[in-house]
Amino acid sequence: MGTDRCAYLSRLRNVDPIPKVWFTLAVLLICVFADSVVVGLFTLAALSVLNIVVGGQRTGDLLHFLKVPLAFLIIGCLTIAIRPIGQAEALWAFRLLGRWRWGITAENLRLGLLVFCKAMGAVSAMYFLSLNTPMTDLTMALERLHVPKLFVELMELIYRFIFLLAGEAGRIKVAQESRLGYRGFRRSMHSMGELLSTVFVRSLHRGNRVFSALESRGYTGSLTTLPGQYTPGRWLYGLAAATAACQLLILIAERRLLP
Amino acid sequence: MSYAIEVRSLTYTYADGTKALNGISFAAEAGKVTGILGSNGAGKSTLFLNMNGVLTPQGGEVLLDGQPVSYARRDLPELRRKVGVVFQDPDDQLFSADVYRDVSFGAVNLGLPESEVRRRVEDAMERTGITALRDKPTHALSYGQKKRVAIAGVLVMEPSVMILDEPTAGLDPQGVSDIMGLLQEIRDKLGITIILATHDMDIIPLYCDHVYLLSGGRMVSDGTPEDVFSHPEILRENHLRLPRIAHLMEILSDRDGVDVSRSAATISAARQEILRLLHEGR
Repeated sequence: MGTDRCAYLSRLRNVDPIPKVWFTLAVLLICVFADSVVVGLFTLAALSVLNIVVGGQRTGDLLHFLKVPLAFLIIGCLTIAIRPIGQAEALWAFRLLGRWRWGITAENLRLGLLVFCKAMGAVSAMYFLSLNTPMTDLTMALERLHVPKLFVELMELIYRFIFLLAGEAGRIKVAQESRLGYRGFRRSMHSMGELLSTVFVRSLHRGNRVFSALESRGYTGSLTTLPGQYTPGRWLYGLAAATAACQLLILIAERRLLP
Repeated sequence: MSYAIEVRSLTYTYADGTKALNGISFAAEAGKVTGILGSNGAGKSTLFLNMNGVLTPQGGEVLLDGQPVSYARRDLPELRRKVGVVFQDPDDQLFSADVYRDVSFGAVNLGLPESEVRRRVEDAMERTGITALRDKPTHALSYGQKKRVAIAGVLVMEPSVMILDEPTAGLDPQGVSDIMGLLQEIRDKLGITIILATHDMDIIPLYCDHVYLLSGGRMVSDGTPEDVFSHPEILRENHLRLPRIAHLMEILSDRDGVDVSRSAATISAARQEILRLLHEGR
C-alpha cells in the first residue's frame, strides 16, 4: 500500500486524525457542491501545496498518486464531451458509420471539463487525508466519530490480514508457476481455483489461531486498544476555515464575473 | 525449591477424538528457564492453551504458585494475565496494523487506567528493543521484529510465567541469540519464569535450566540438560537428536575410546574437556 508508506512518514503522522477528517470532508464537500471548474482547480492546487508544505510529502510522490486516477478520468470525461449531438451546433463533429452525427458541443465540453476539475479537486482532498493518516488512525477516528464498533473492528482486522492473505496467495502462485501451473487457459483456471480454495481454508485455520491468541491476551469481545499519543490538531480547523473561505470567495467571484 | 507453575496428570482430548494430552505432569521452577522438547504434534500447543485457560483441562490440575487454578469464567482473566503465551507465528498474534496499539491490547483488557497502560507499553517496548518500530505498520516489520512485538504484547500484562512456543523457529542465527538473550534478560531483571517449547537442540544446553521431553501427550523424560543428554537413545526414539557438540563427545567416547565427558554439550564445556585432555597428555 503506497499511501500508507507516505502516511507513516508524514509530518502530520502524530496529529489527531479527527481534525484531518473534518478538514478533508469540508474541503471535499465544498469542491463537489460548488459545481465550478475554477473551484475544482483551486482545490487541486491548494491541497497539493498543503500536502507538500504542511504534510511534508515529496512532490514526486504526490504527482505519482495524482496520476493514478488520471487515466480513468480522462477516458470518462472524453465520453462526456464526445457524444451523439443530432443537429446541434458543434465545435467539432464527425459522422459515425456515415449516419449518426457525433461531436463536441460547447455545452458538453464545459460539462466534461467540469467533471474533470471537480474530480481532481476531490481526489486531492482525499489524498490529503490518506497520505497523512495511517489506516489504523483513520479507523480509530471513525470509532470516535461513533461509527458502529463492529464495522470499525472488521475494517481493522481486514486491513491487517489482507497483507497476510495477499502474501500467502503470492507464495502459492509462485509455487504453482514453478511447476507450470499457469500454462494454457484451462490449466490456469484450474490452478487459480486451487489457489483460492487453499487460501480460503488456510484463512479459516488462521482465524482459529488468531482467536486463541486474542483470548490469551484477555480478549472478551472487543478489540479495544490505546493509540499512540496524538498532538492536538486544532489549528487544522483554522486551516479548514481558511481554505473553505477561499473556495467560497472564488465561487462568488466566478458567479459575478461570468454570469 | 518453589515451582511457579505445576501441571498434574493433565488430560485433554479434542472433539474429534484426538487424545492430545495423556496424563501429563511437569513443573517449572520459579525464576528459571524450563525447556519442553517435543517433535511436531507432540501436544505442546494444546498443553500451553490448557495452562492459560484458553482450553479447559478434562482431567488433572494446574497449580500456580502452589494454588490450584480455577477455570471458572470469572477467574480466567487473572489466569491469562499471570500465564502469558507467545505464539509460534507472530502473524497469528499481532492483529493490529499499528505496533503501539497491538502492544497495548493486553494492558487495556486488564482495565488499567490510561497512564498505567502507557507506562507499561513504553516499558515493554523499551525492554524488547522495539521503540523505534512504533512508527511502522505491522506488515512492514521483519519476522524477528514481529516476534519482539509479540513478546512485548505479553510483557505488558506483567505475567509471572511466560510460555513461548518455538521462539527461535524461522529466525537467522543472529536473531536466535538476540531473542534468547532477551528472554534471559526478562528472566533475570523481571523474575519471570520462562517455559519454552523447542526442537532446536543446540539452544537447550545454553539457555535451559531444566528440560522435559514430551511425546505422545506425556512427559517421557526430564532432568537438567546434562541428564537428558546422557540418554541419547530416548531422544532418538522421539525424533530428536543430541546437540552437535554432545554428539561429537559421544562419538569420541564410543568409537575412539577417548576419555571425554559425554555431558559436555556446549562450546565452553567442550573447550574445557579438550584443554583437560591436552594437559593430561603432556
